[in-house]
Order: sequence, then structure tokens, then C-alpha cells
Amino acid sequence: MKRKLPLIIVLVTGIFGVLTYIIPHPIIQDTDAVFRNDILRVIGAFSIVLGIGSILRHHFIKIKRKAEHWGYSWITVVALFVSAIIGLFGGIDPTRPGLLPTQVGGFSFHIQSLFTGLIVPLGSTMFALLAFFMASAAYRAFRARNLEATLLLVSAFILMLGAVPLTRMIVRELPSFAEWILAVPNTAAKRGIGFGISLGILATSLKIILGIERGWLGGGE
Amino acid sequence: MAASGSAGRKGFWERLQRIDRRWIYLVIWLVVMVPLIKPFPIKPVASPPVQQMFSYIDSMPEDKALIISVDYSPDTQAELHPMTLALLRHAFATDRRVGLVATTVYGLGLGEDALREVKREFDSVATRHEDSVISGEDFIFWGWTTPLLTMMLGMGERITNVFPVDYYGARTESLPMTRHVKNYNDVGILVSVAGSSMPISWVAYAQTQFGLRIGCGTTAVSAADYYTYLNSGQFTGMLAGMRGAAEYEQLTREKMDRLGMTWRVRNRGTEAMSSQTAAHIAIILFIVVGNIGYFATRRRKS
Repeated sequence: MKRKLPLIIVLVTGIFGVLTYIIPHPIIQDTDAVFRNDILRVIGAFSIVLGIGSILRHHFIKIKRKAEHWGYSWITVVALFVSAIIGLFGGIDPTRPGLLPTQVGGFSFHIQSLFTGLIVPLGSTMFALLAFFMASAAYRAFRARNLEATLLLVSAFILMLGAVPLTRMIVRELPSFAEWILAVPNTAAKRGIGFGISLGILATSLKIILGIERGWLGGGE
Repeated sequence: MAASGSAGRKGFWERLQRIDRRWIYLVIWLVVMVPLIKPFPIKPVASPPVQQMFSYIDSMPEDKALIISVDYSPDTQAELHPMTLALLRHAFATDRRVGLVATTVYGLGLGEDALREVKREFDSVATRHEDSVISGEDFIFWGWTTPLLTMMLGMGERITNVFPVDYYGARTESLPMTRHVKNYNDVGILVSVAGSSMPISWVAYAQTQFGLRIGCGTTAVSAADYYTYLNSGQFTGMLAGMRGAAEYEQLTREKMDRLGMTWRVRNRGTEAMSSQTAAHIAIILFIVVGNIGYFATRRRKS
């Protein structure tokens, strides 16, 4: 039953999900609305609880076992609780104070200042590092070894030059040519790949609904 | 003599192939930083996807609202945030009602940041109530809710059911704008500004089910994936990368100038184009030099 029940739920809800697109009867449509608006929300709320539980469990185990870089786990756990408390009880900005004070003198630590002062610079820095790695990788690995690689190289040149307005002054038609590469050959290739992916998703979905694919149950029989 | 010269040249090409990556990092840092400090003037010219989006928003019926879905996170902020700012400026300059929604928690902070900045710009020059930008009247920041499917489909039926309160805690039912914007029927276009595949989800649920027009703002690397949707007409327009943001900023600035709104605003996308131009040219030169070294070394080996 432990394995059969989830399979039955997936079979019933999967087929029902398809039927809602075919049968306009109010019974089907109203039930679908309850599923979408109420039941899915409850499941979503539980997934947040599961997510927080999972991250805490993972880091507490690391701290307990003194695994590599376990000190950073403390930072994660403390940051999680502090930001949650500020977010829940401290208010979202200084003009709308919450239950807890979030200002000491000129220093504000409400949730928006935490976001703009910590999350934004950290996230932006991580992404900015990519530019350095990309430049280094392009220098070392982007070689015209054969015809395909040469075509790729030439296309990349045109697209990179087409993406900057300055090149319009040098070769007027270059941005339009870059646009053509994206709109025509690129689209043709993407459509082919897209059809393949969609058929794959369709086949996998059917296999899951019919219980043929059971990997999501945790693997094994 | 000839042999030693040949050996010297061979050494040079091989050394060039194995150049320390820190030199490359230094060059990239310089070509990005110097134009940021001292930019060279660049006037962006709108590409067809950007022009399409601008023209549609500019000419859509007055009673239709613009929804901006803030679907990006701080890592892609540099490319995408200028798009949100430019879209907000365009909407407020032309008296459009704006709804802001976030599909990720990160989008909340970024949406709030964008709204605050543009609101301050307009309010600082407003001389009467109608000129200022007011929450609940000119815009609603609905915020974020989960799950995605419920939000995207539910907003097509009744937005207040999905968002009973807005981001600031006000009852959405009581806000004046809610009288005009009840569901997707009252929306001219939804622009999903995203660093992920979220615009496709908007097409799948909001457009396919309710016929809502979708526009897309995306990072330069993701743009290639979306041309299929643009060509099929599923996207009404697309802003791709920093260049897309700069082009939209240019169109918005021209529009605001025509309307007599000549106050100075920071156009971050346009400001960054000098750096992007220099960085692209540097990377192209790196690739060219790398290939010259590769062919020179290979010829000697063969």
C-alpha cells in the first residue's frame, strides 16, 4: 500500500488533469478550481516546511559531525532565523514598521535593507565572476579546429559584435545580420530541439501517470 | 641564427597559449571598469523585437493595464533591472496602470526597489496629485504567492482571489485600481522579466488559457531560446540583455522628451553599454590571439 497509494493518486490526478481540458462540465471545472486554488496551495505550504526542515537537518548534521567547512553551516542557520524573524516581525520597510524595531540610529536592518545590502551584492558578485571565467575559457578553448567549430566561432563573433551599438557605425548591416542569425537558423534548430524535448516530456508524463516510470518513488522495487 | 629565431618564436607562441589566467582577468577587469568610470557616448538604436514591445505598450488601449512580472534574482539584476525601470517609466509617463507581481521571493525585493526608484523620480517633479505616482491608484504591487500554477491561472479569473492583500498589506479589494483591473481581460500585456524560463510558463498558462499578450525581458544568453516564441507571435516583443534594456531606455527617453518630461534619470542599461562594448571587443581579441597561437603552434608541430 505504501507504494500503491502514491501510484493511484498520480494515476487519478494525472487523468483528471487531462480531462479538465476536454470536458467543460461544471462538476469537472469546479473540482479543478478547488484542486488548483486550495489543495495545491496547501501542498505548496507544506513544501516550504519540508524545505526549511531539510536545510536545517542538513546543516545540523554537518555541524554535529564537524564535516568540512562546518563553520559556514552555523552562518546559514543563524542567517535563516535572523532574516525570518526580521521578515515576520520587523516589517518590510522603514515607513511601515512591524512589531520589532528595525532601526538603530541611522542604521536600518528591515528586510528590504537586508536584501539590498546583502543578497543583491552577493548574487551580483557571483554572476559577475562568470565574465572572467568566460573570457579565460574563450581564450583557451575556443579554437577553429574544424568546419563546425569555425562556423560557431564566426557566428559568435557576429553576435557579440551585433550586440554592441558601436559596431553599427562600422558595419551598418551587422546588427541586422546578427538578428537574422538568431531569428532564422537559430530558430530552426531550436524548434527541432523543442519538438524532441516536448515529445520526451509527453512520453515521460504518460509513463509516470500509468505507473511505468517509478523513479520518483525513490528508486528500486 | 635562423634556428634560434625560430625557437624564440616557437617559445613565444607556446608561452602565449599558456598565459596565466590572472592576466586575462586583469584585462577584463580593466575593460569593464574604465568605461564605467569614464563612459564613451553610445546611442542605442532599437532592434525590431524591442521596437515591437515599445510600440505595443505605447499604443495599447488606455484602459488596459501593464503587468510586469519580476521573475529574476540579484545575479541577473545588472542586465534585467534596467528593463523593469524603463518599463515602469514608460508606463507612468503614458498614464498606464501598472501591476507588479513576483514569481520568486527574490523578485519581491527587486520589484520594491524598482518601484521606489521610479516613484521617487516622478514624485520629485510632480506639482499636482495627478502627476505623482500613488500605490493602489497608479500601481499595485501584488507581491508573491505560491504555487505558480495557482497564481498564473487564478489571476485570469480574479486577481483579488489570488492576492487578497498587496505587498504592503493593504486589502486589494479596497484599492481604487482594482475597480479597473479585475483579471487578464483588463490587462493589455504582461511582460515577464526573467533570468529563467518563466516567460514560457506565462505563455503556457496565461496566454494559452486566457489569450493574454506576453512580452519578455531576458538575459542575452537566454535570448536565443526565445526567438521561436517571438517568431510565432507568442511574444509580442522581447528585450534581450543589456542591449535590449539600453534600447528600451532610449525609446522611453525619447518619448518622455516628447511629452515634456525632461528631468534627468539614470539609464543604467545605456551607461553599461560602453563597458559591454569594450568587454566584447576584448573577448573577441582574446579569441583571435588564442587562435593565431593555436595555428602557429600546430604548423610548427606538423
